[in-house]
Amino acid sequence: MSSCEFKFTPNEYKSDLKPVWCPGCGDFGVLNALYKALADLKCNPQDTVVVSGIGCSSRLPGYVETYGFNSLHGRALPIATGAKLASPNLNVIAVGGDGDGIAIGGNHFMHAARRNVDIAYIMMDNEIYGLTKGQAGPTTPTGDKTKSTMYGNPDAAIDPCALAISFGATWVARAFSGDIKGTVDLMKRAIQHRGFAFLNIISPCVTWRGDDLFKELRGKVKSLPHDHDPGSRRQAQNFTYEEEIVTTGVLYAVQHPTLLDEMGTIKAKASTSSATRSDILKVFAPRF
Amino acid sequence: MTQELTLSIVGSGGDGAVAAGDILSMACAREGLNVIKTEAYGPQIRGGESSATVRISTAPIYSQADALDALVVFNWADYARFRNELTPAPDAVVFYEEKDPPPAGLNARFFPIAFANAARDAGAPNGKNVLALGVLSAAFGLPQDALRAALRARFGKKTAAVVEGNIKAFDRGIEIGNEVAGSVKKFAYEKKAPKLVMSGNEASAVAAIDAGCRFFAGYPITPSSEILHFLSEWLPKIGGTCLQTEDELAALGAVVGASFSGVKSMTATSGPGLSLMAEMLGLSSMAEVPSVIVNVQRGGPSTGIPTKSEQSDLMHALFASHGDTPRAVIACSDVEDTYHATVDAFNIAEEFQMPVIVLSEQSIAQRRETISGDNLVHDVIDRQLANPEELKEFRRYRVTENGVSPMSVPGMAGGEYQTNGLEHDEQGRPNSMFVTHETMNAKRYRKLDALASKYRLFHRFGPETADLGIICWGSTAGVVREAVERLNQGDLRVAAFAPRMIMPLPVADLEKFIASCGELLVIELSYSKQFYQYLRTQVDLPKKTRVYARSGGKALGVSEIIEQCVAEVLA
Repeated sequence: MSSCEFKFTPNEYKSDLKPVWCPGCGDFGVLNALYKALADLKCNPQDTVVVSGIGCSSRLPGYVETYGFNSLHGRALPIATGAKLASPNLNVIAVGGDGDGIAIGGNHFMHAARRNVDIAYIMMDNEIYGLTKGQAGPTTPTGDKTKSTMYGNPDAAIDPCALAISFGATWVARAFSGDIKGTVDLMKRAIQHRGFAFLNIISPCVTWRGDDLFKELRGKVKSLPHDHDPGSRRQAQNFTYEEEIVTTGVLYAVQHPTLLDEMGTIKAKASTSSATRSDILKVFAPRF
Repeated sequence: MTQELTLSIVGSGGDGAVAAGDILSMACAREGLNVIKTEAYGPQIRGGESSATVRISTAPIYSQADALDALVVFNWADYARFRNELTPAPDAVVFYEEKDPPPAGLNARFFPIAFANAARDAGAPNGKNVLALGVLSAAFGLPQDALRAALRARFGKKTAAVVEGNIKAFDRGIEIGNEVAGSVKKFAYEKKAPKLVMSGNEASAVAAIDAGCRFFAGYPITPSSEILHFLSEWLPKIGGTCLQTEDELAALGAVVGASFSGVKSMTATSGPGLSLMAEMLGLSSMAEVPSVIVNVQRGGPSTGIPTKSEQSDLMHALFASHGDTPRAVIACSDVEDTYHATVDAFNIAEEFQMPVIVLSEQSIAQRRETISGDNLVHDVIDRQLANPEELKEFRRYRVTENGVSPMSVPGMAGGEYQTNGLEHDEQGRPNSMFVTHETMNAKRYRKLDALASKYRLFHRFGPETADLGIICWGSTAGVVREAVERLNQGDLRVAAFAPRMIMPLPVADLEKFIASCGELLVIELSYSKQFYQYLRTQVDLPKKTRVYARSGGKALGVSEIIEQCVAEVLA
């Protein structure tokens, strides 16, 4: 497509590929929110890269008419980091599930966050491994019976937002995919944030976690109190590991130099303009 | 007449053995001599025993020496650790600290010297290494002016008293050395144009810059970290980016991401890191995103012997990652070859859109060698992007005759595509149909055929036809080359073939070589004979082909190969 005839409507971001997701899956809400967010922000398709790992939600890049990379289980963030560093003008969005990002890719989550690489990372948290058909994941509540925990999940569940805040992400928010309007708003802010923005979207799995979950969640979802200070890491952590409520909104937002800023500083220190090939070879020459 | 000399200096941390090796190498490089310098260390992070061995020659050299002509020992306890690797020749000269008498059983000529006291008296309390350089230069006729200049350059940033103390220690060493000079064969040479002194790792790093690499991601690992170190300093100076990642999975991941974005990218590692990169290697192959991986082999398996060389990552480099995964593998046989192999790797990666592994070895990567800067020139192929015609109804994975499809990068309007580790159709959409899988496998593998006909890279040494043919690869080629030269001075006609391109192997050239030889001998540093096993899948080796394969951990010697060749012919 050429950008001159592009009108920036949500529909234009839709690819002709039909999602493999189950009817009623929370990820549809996330995908529709992303179309809307990209359209609202007038993101050029050729300058946008959506990178994912593996899992139900990681199928998403194929459904978006931008550049996309459906990569390996857990490895979206290193690829997104390389893509952004190599081509700083790109709008890089990483997406994936809770198992992809916290279990197999947990190490990359920590380091992408602490580097403050300027990407938006959207996690679709469904508390289960859906694509492999129903095993416990890192956000599955303790005690839940799944296909891989027939006597109840022995492990403690992780709150992805708590991790992101402690890893050094500079923008952390929680959304609910049943609330498209709220999700679109948070997605846009995540994409616009300068630095590593982490958006955890509660995206229920109707197949393995039950049909009632949407209804149940609607009763639990609450917005952040008006007096919440997103500049306070301590206050932000108050809204993690919640019981019986799911608080949505921007828990944490600060500004720190991004990885690209730091790379710029390094290049300045290394005095970019002066090095030539003969400077490099001089390192190896007997200079006496 | 070729003049040759191999010297080794052994001591504890702080004795300056390694520094002395550096100074000597640089001085010889200024005189235009050929040098190969190796170092060895105990396992301690700081201090502990260390040794520097410098082989100097008026003719080109391709390997470490088998035996030492001269040995300086500050401490015999330190020498004991290296005694299997540092063997004096029968007529070798050994200079040792007089307070520490040599052990019984060494066959050489011994000269006690009060290194520590003489250096202190000359005004350089830490200068016994410099004093030793003076002794060696006088005894063997090594370039004293160049050594003095190298010393001044080395200590230039210290106080004048330190510089002068060291020069005095050097001159005192000359006086001591003159006393034995009459009984030692002199090294005579003509001064030539100065050379560069470079390690294999440094050659990889410089080659990457020359090839247009502007993104490097890596995780520290012995013995490849010097590539990360060099690029961490130099990439930012030329507008590039160097990233130290959290692990090797992320290192190759970032490389694949950066390359997908349109920038030539590389990582470097050693065996354990390559194990972790296996899945990402498969992605680079499947998504057809160019990537370059320098793998510096060390002793394996598992953590193995991090500081020593072996050729046992071969099968891993050839077949790592699940599924049918085309990739190219290039070997390096010496420092200069490492430069060319690395540029070739970028050219192949970009032209054929696949991962390329440069298989180096600790013995090349960490040794320093003199090379002529004029030889560090190699044509560079840049990424070929889709043209406007191809961008109309763009198919990123279009099935073509040679398997290479038009490529776009983010930022190019009309080139938008979603790539995949999943099997995919021409548009990059996931597809699990047999027909698609077969078609796409064939497309990806056709690139190897195109590559094989364009890059028939190998070394061949010796006469056109031979009684005995040696097949080897990597660092072994350098040792074999010298053995072949020596053997052909006698009655035996010996030739050698060392593929530089290991995957795809230049099969027709190898077959031609096999047909030109009587007997065949395969030589490699892998206990399980990985190279021989691989050759058997690629060519018909004669039934009586012999294999000389042993573990790494000790450099292969020229005399070791000559012994094997003679045994082969007598058998």
